Amino acid sequence: MPRHRPVISRDCWLAILLVAHTIVTLLGCEHRQKFDDSEPVESSSFGDQPIEPLPLTVDFDPARAALGEALFAEPKMSGDSKVACTDCHHEGHGLADDKPHSSVSGRPDSAVNSPTMYNVRFLYKLSWGGKFESLESHIDALMVNPKVMASSWELATKQLSEVASYRQKFASVFPDGLTPSNVRLAILDYERSLVTPNAPFDQYLRGDAQAVSPEVKRGYAMFKSYGCSSCHQGVAIGGNLFERIGVLRDFFADRGHFDNADLGRFNVTQRDQDRFVFRVPSLRNVALTAPYFHDGSAATLEAAVTDMANYQLGRDLPERDRSALVAFLRSLTGEYRGQSL
Amino acid sequence: MNASRTLRSSLAIVVAGFVCLLAYSAVESVDYAEEQAYSRDLRRVQAATAELNERVLKSRSALMTQYDPLVHALRDLRQLHERLKRVPDFLGASAAVDLRAQLQKSEAQLREKDELVENFKTHNSVLQNSLHYFPILANSVIDRARVAPTGAPVASRIQTLIAAIMLFDTSADAESSARVQAAQLELSAEKQAAHELQLDHELELILAHSRIILERKPIADRIVQQILSVPLPRMARALEEAYSMHHRSATDRALLVRQILFGLALVTVVLGLTDVILRMRRSAQALQSATAELRDANAALAREREKERQLGELKTRFVSMTSHEFRTPLSVILSSTELLENYSERWNAERRMDHLERIRSAARSMDRMLDDILIIGRAEAGMLRPSPAQLNLEEFCRHLVESLEHSSARSHSIRYSFSGDPQVTLDERLLSEVVGNLLSNALKYSPAGSQVHFDVIANDDQCRFEVKDEGIGIPEADIPRLFQSFFRASNADQIKGSGLGLAVVKKALDVQNGTIEVQSSLGNGSQFVVRVPRDLSVSRSSNAEL
Repeated sequence: MPRHRPVISRDCWLAILLVAHTIVTLLGCEHRQKFDDSEPVESSSFGDQPIEPLPLTVDFDPARAALGEALFAEPKMSGDSKVACTDCHHEGHGLADDKPHSSVSGRPDSAVNSPTMYNVRFLYKLSWGGKFESLESHIDALMVNPKVMASSWELATKQLSEVASYRQKFASVFPDGLTPSNVRLAILDYERSLVTPNAPFDQYLRGDAQAVSPEVKRGYAMFKSYGCSSCHQGVAIGGNLFERIGVLRDFFADRGHFDNADLGRFNVTQRDQDRFVFRVPSLRNVALTAPYFHDGSAATLEAAVTDMANYQLGRDLPERDRSALVAFLRSLTGEYRGQSL
Repeated sequence: MNASRTLRSSLAIVVAGFVCLLAYSAVESVDYAEEQAYSRDLRRVQAATAELNERVLKSRSALMTQYDPLVHALRDLRQLHERLKRVPDFLGASAAVDLRAQLQKSEAQLREKDELVENFKTHNSVLQNSLHYFPILANSVIDRARVAPTGAPVASRIQTLIAAIMLFDTSADAESSARVQAAQLELSAEKQAAHELQLDHELELILAHSRIILERKPIADRIVQQILSVPLPRMARALEEAYSMHHRSATDRALLVRQILFGLALVTVVLGLTDVILRMRRSAQALQSATAELRDANAALAREREKERQLGELKTRFVSMTSHEFRTPLSVILSSTELLENYSERWNAERRMDHLERIRSAARSMDRMLDDILIIGRAEAGMLRPSPAQLNLEEFCRHLVESLEHSSARSHSIRYSFSGDPQVTLDERLLSEVVGNLLSNALKYSPAGSQVHFDVIANDDQCRFEVKDEGIGIPEADIPRLFQSFFRASNADQIKGSGLGLAVVKKALDVQNGTIEVQSSLGNGSQFVVRVPRDLSVSRSSNAEL
């Protein structure tokens, strides 16, 4: 009588597994061929208004942004440990400079007025001449610019690493701790977090008719009918195109002189057509960021409105219209971290 | 050792199958996630370009009042190009080089488009402002001029300019352009009149806006034309074609590899299954043969047991029957000897002889019975063997008939006939048991005076004995058990007998290769036909040969 071995059941299971695996694999590859072709459609939901409200929330990494905020005020970011970003972008002044030309120790005065850092993520190109395509290229250039930070990511990182709290904070936020690339990422996330939603006028655009005064509404009507919104439009109310300063009247003839900085975009493109052309600035929080224009020549909002009407639109504003426009512009001051600026 | 080797081989097959399937899945997984994202991005280049163009046209015709959509469309295109630079690995290195070269061309076009859009925004914003404001301003100045007594010429000049501008806005050819210029000249000539009307500033503004329209509209239109004619969609199409070509060849390659792997996997699966099936079949066969053997053994055991049981039963019956059958003659012997002992002196000789005769007869009957039992016992023990010898069958039968007729006191007559060659080779003793028993039965169970036929035919190869009586016959139900020891037919109770005669016949015939047939009709008599081989020595040796 031959020996009877109990191997049948094991072989059976293996065979079943084998067949099952084949089936699953075949089914799986069938399944994987299907995919989701839908993509989000970007559309304005606020009718045919030239201005759109800022989004109430934006995506950024809060831990990195908090770290970036500290770095923003940190002189060790500069090569000589003397200059911080906040020296030109004052926290108490809408992250802009209250002087026409920024003046910090050991550097020549800035050629142009320092604009606000709020809502930079919505700007199309950065700097008055639109030299930088992105926040990344902008901050990279400023870090090494001898007239600005006169530093480098490596140098800044080295100087930061002397401070224990930075080492700790970076270690808690980034797996690889304090590195040049992480310093950069932290700053960038802070810049992206600088959004000021919920301005009274945004509330009005979102449907709250009581959010602004009748004067502001009249000012908005003026803003459109005078033609301001030809250039100052979009979510940032500007910041998405370039325009020559002095379309209808000569700005520099009245000022009496012009220098290299006044060439604006020409300094970037070297094209004749770009002489005296500047990025149309965003009007978000404009009430906080005096003085105005690339040269800081307009000390007040009223002066800036008057000048714009004069040089860009060829108009002399009646006082009534001007105050309405200024009221409208003041309604563009938003909230940062839930607090009105 | 053999078992572990086969197990190892089947395990190896299974492992090989799994490796094939894993490789199959790996080849599979290279494809889709990447491929879909990439081809979707490729398609979106065309879509985003079309969207950008549409938005430019909308801006140009003032249907869109902000430039964010333009910025977003361009940003999307740039991001798409960045993403497309990451060519999926499965396409291969040469495809990546080709696609990146195409992408570079496409990016150059995108940069051109970007610059054009940049320019467009700058001009279009100013143009749209003038187009919007010029008619409002001009009409308000006309209204103010008309109310003054000397304002009519100024108003009509402005009117002319409005008409010229309107025409220019729709056609923008050289003629309408010249017309605007003429109207501007005419209006400029009215500066003095305007000054008198205190409208000189407004006049300047009207002229400035008309100049902006005259200057910028052709520029804006030209830029729009240029934007629309940037061959970005064609680039995107070419890119998509190149991609689909590379993709096809890559998927063909992958498909081939997959097919090979699938084939291998299938082969291993089939091999594995075959192995399993064969193993199962072998095991099933082993099981079957084991079961059959077991069954046979069981059957043999059962047979053995049955035989034992029958034997035991037989023995029990034998003992009970013999004790019963022996008791009768023994009691006769005992009682006769007792009587003889007590009364022999008083009895006459005749009476004494009678009892002595009874004792002898009883002893003889016991002797016969013992003979029968011995024959049956030897037959059942397999020790009954015929010893054939030359024999004259005719004489043998005649002696037998005579002795039986004699012992039955001639109350019956036996009609005996014989035909054929009487010289046979048979066992005389066994044959006399067979024929004697049959004949004595025939006599015993037949009424006195009836005839018994006894016909013997000796053929070339066998002898046939036929015994036929006119007796009580045998019930049909009893015939199957007729040849069992101690069995007696249900209608034979009145007639003395041991029930061993026919059993002896059967046993004696069995060892001589003989047969017996019974035909009986209840009350009319029975017929027994016996056949035995003529020469027992020949048939025995031939049987042995078989």
